[in-house]
Amino acid sequence: MFSRNKNQNSSVSIDMMKKQKRYEALVKAFHADLFRYAMWLIKDKAIAEDVVQETFLRAWKSLDSLKDEAAAKSWLITILRRENARRFERKQFDLVDIDDVAVADPHIFGDVALEHRELRRIMSNLSEEYREPLMMQILMGFSGDEIAEQLNLNKNTVMTRLFRARNQIKEALLGEELKGEQVNG
Amino acid sequence: MDELSFRRTIYAEPNTTDPDIIQAAKDDPAKQVFWDEVKAMDAQLAQAMSIPVPENFADKLILRQGMDEFSQKRQKRPWYIALAASVAMVVGVSYVTLFAGNNGLANDIYAHINHEYMNKEIAMTGQHVSQNVINEKMATFNGVLSGEIGDVLSANYCYLGTIKSLHMIIKGKTGLINLFVVDNNNSKELKEDFSTNGLVGTSFLLQSAKIIIVGDDKEQVSHLQTAAQSAFRF
Repeated sequence: MFSRNKNQNSSVSIDMMKKQKRYEALVKAFHADLFRYAMWLIKDKAIAEDVVQETFLRAWKSLDSLKDEAAAKSWLITILRRENARRFERKQFDLVDIDDVAVADPHIFGDVALEHRELRRIMSNLSEEYREPLMMQILMGFSGDEIAEQLNLNKNTVMTRLFRARNQIKEALLGEELKGEQVNG
Repeated sequence: MDELSFRRTIYAEPNTTDPDIIQAAKDDPAKQVFWDEVKAMDAQLAQAMSIPVPENFADKLILRQGMDEFSQKRQKRPWYIALAASVAMVVGVSYVTLFAGNNGLANDIYAHINHEYMNKEIAMTGQHVSQNVINEKMATFNGVLSGEIGDVLSANYCYLGTIKSLHMIIKGKTGLINLFVVDNNNSKELKEDFSTNGLVGTSFLLQSAKIIIVGDDKEQVSHLQTAAQSAFRF
């Protein structure tokens, strides 16, 4: 009877090892994208890190529910967005402060070439309803249908928002160019 | 395709594979230029979005999960659960050690020594079993009875579960005592001493065989044990 228990234990630990490997593969494949996504969503490095950690922790706990590895990215973004929403429930007052500070400073995204810094400033000034589908499309490589599902919108609305997002960015860039010309001229 | 719907589609989905869009761009170089511009802007956006990830972030995530798993396991088992688990284990172990490593074997022994069963056996065999008859049966276990163990009232092969044994019922001073001979290989887990409601049991190894003695009087059991140790040879 004892030897049978031992076998069960070892099969349990083999399952744990398999789960661990699967988890580590997910972390390695998606941690960068998720962190970037969280940064653009939250605009605070510490909170973004925290939300990504919570996301992966949730992912670990319910890893068995992920049947198809191909769906992993969508699955993780769903968890991340939920975790971020929970943060709103928990810390409403903190968030208002952070948002005010964060929007003002594009340097939070790290030192980069001037043009990227400018693009980052423009993007962080986009309203969330435009920024988020754009991040999903560019950063995560989601299709229109996938974005629609994530944001619980119909695809036409998503497409309109993506169009407006790029339109606003383009206009903002043109505005910068005009400003530059004026200064030069 | 008109200019506006072309631009709308490109702005919404620069990597579109819509054949109408592709055809429209082929037909009109200006449209293709616009498309290329938007693609270039998207490439810039992708670069701008690729903000640096904190150092060792992946390792941190893996480590954090491990720690959480660990602390959760600890949290999930508060002291009283741990205590309950310990108590349950002690009870379980005591149960196993008291009654038998192979509990089934001990239970089977008990089943063979209830009064009703013993009376049947005695009735079948008669009042006395000769040493020769016992030795015929002992041959199965490659053993010989050459000494005095008392008045044997019955000697029969019994299956203790799946284990073949020679069950002898011996008349003691105050009551009946049971002696089982089994192959040691099949009964290794049986504890040396075991007891249950008023019954005392002991088992000991004698060369290749194991002798199990069960009775209701501890003194008689140990007396028969001493006798059996010198009377049997295997």
